[in-house]
Amino acid sequence: MMQLLYLDPGSGSYLVQVIIAAVLGVIFYFKSGWNWIKSFFVKTPPKEEEENESAD
Amino acid sequence: MNQLINHHPASFRDPSGFIYEQNGTVYRFVSTIYASHYSLLMNSGLAAELQKKNLLLAFSEATDNHLGRADWYKTLVPQQLPFISYAWEWSFSQLKDAALATLAVCKLALQKGMILKDATHTNMQWVDGKWKLIDTLSFETYTTGESWIAYRQFCECFLNPLLVAAHTGMEVNRLLLSYPDGVPANITAKLLPFKTKFNAVVYLHVHLQAKLAAKPATEQKGSGKKLSQKNIEQILESLCSCIEGLNLPQQTTTWNNYYSETILSETYLSEKKKLISAILADESYKSVIDLGANEGEFSLLCRQDASVIATDFDSACIDSLYNRLKKEKRKNILPLVLDLTYPSPAMGWMNAERKAFFSRANADVCMALALIHHFAIAKNISFGQLASFFASICKTLIIEFVPKEDPKVQSMLQWRKDIFEEFTVEEFEKAFASFFSLQQKVTVNGSQRTIFVYRKK
Repeated sequence: MMQLLYLDPGSGSYLVQVIIAAVLGVIFYFKSGWNWIKSFFVKTPPKEEEENESAD
Repeated sequence: MNQLINHHPASFRDPSGFIYEQNGTVYRFVSTIYASHYSLLMNSGLAAELQKKNLLLAFSEATDNHLGRADWYKTLVPQQLPFISYAWEWSFSQLKDAALATLAVCKLALQKGMILKDATHTNMQWVDGKWKLIDTLSFETYTTGESWIAYRQFCECFLNPLLVAAHTGMEVNRLLLSYPDGVPANITAKLLPFKTKFNAVVYLHVHLQAKLAAKPATEQKGSGKKLSQKNIEQILESLCSCIEGLNLPQQTTTWNNYYSETILSETYLSEKKKLISAILADESYKSVIDLGANEGEFSLLCRQDASVIATDFDSACIDSLYNRLKKEKRKNILPLVLDLTYPSPAMGWMNAERKAFFSRANADVCMALALIHHFAIAKNISFGQLASFFASICKTLIIEFVPKEDPKVQSMLQWRKDIFEEFTVEEFEKAFASFFSLQQKVTVNGSQRTIFVYRKK
């Protein structure tokens, strides 16, 4: 891994990311379930165009 | 032929390549150790797509190996930037948008099998009205199972200062001046109010990280679990929605709403605008620096093809100017937070990595409107010192003199002893005459204030 030549190995904070990913996974799981239920009752508005897209 | 090659002093941390300057052009050297990553960047279409979305600085390839090095792989010619600004000169919204652009770059990179290995604010610049990544070598091939190597750096450089600013009102520019490499999680955790521990996302990205950072890196390994690409995407998404939701606490400073609330207002402002427009119309200039720009009313009068730097020490003013420019799609004005009595210093290794503000900034025209009485009276800076300062940064100076009789100056003198006998228009003119020749002198209708146009001798 070339980046290790100049960054200390802790800087990726692997463990934090593993924990965050696990928690987010759980949140995402419940959220998508909730959105699935919600979708029966609420009509979702169409998403707006991405702003950073080049206009010129 | 002049073969002077200057290795840029801020470009040494990454072995993949570096920036150098030759005959006034900035080039990027790409080393053979970066070859596979560079080919993926180009062949996957990532570079093209990022440039289409205005997220990556334009660059082209050149064929010369100027340096004659054996590890030469490519020479890149990036779009030349007239001015580099630093995060300690940005307002809240500027840092926020730079953060969101960094995340957008990383998300797109992941879709193309790459990831950002650096996520620092020094790699972002506001170019032509868009936040762009300027370091072409920040990408590396993504390997499944790996974590996001730049995660901690991103949090320290962007998320943490933004969170502290949003929760406490501290200014991001001051935070990042104290912590140029980013605010560490343990400091952030102490600065944030207790209630943030109950916000799941803030808890994970800050408080948890602060706890774990106390452990040595070796103890952090060995948790067997591998991160999937989906995991990284979710982390990026959570950072994105967290940052999008951050806003500065509402506050009124002395200087924002200055024009709408001040007794001077309306006629004075419109008269002054007319005058400045007329003066600017007579000048030929390519660059302007507006010092004490407030919310940029006068910067906006400059020609749209001139590059304008508008500075003020009040970050709330700069923040509202920045948001206005974004809304009106004015691309030629760069708003920056700058305290003229403490301008950004030279920093980094050997004091050469990040340049001082006034070794980067100079302009054809400098505007200093309703500014110098603050220095003369509040900071005891003499007219002589002011004149020599302005002569060092510009060719033409548009400067406003506010006399002692003016209500604003009177209010400044209200609580302090008037030791400023030399604060007269005669002394002012005498001091400036030794550096400048007078071109024009006009009184702003309905006030005792005078605008001088000076040309440097």
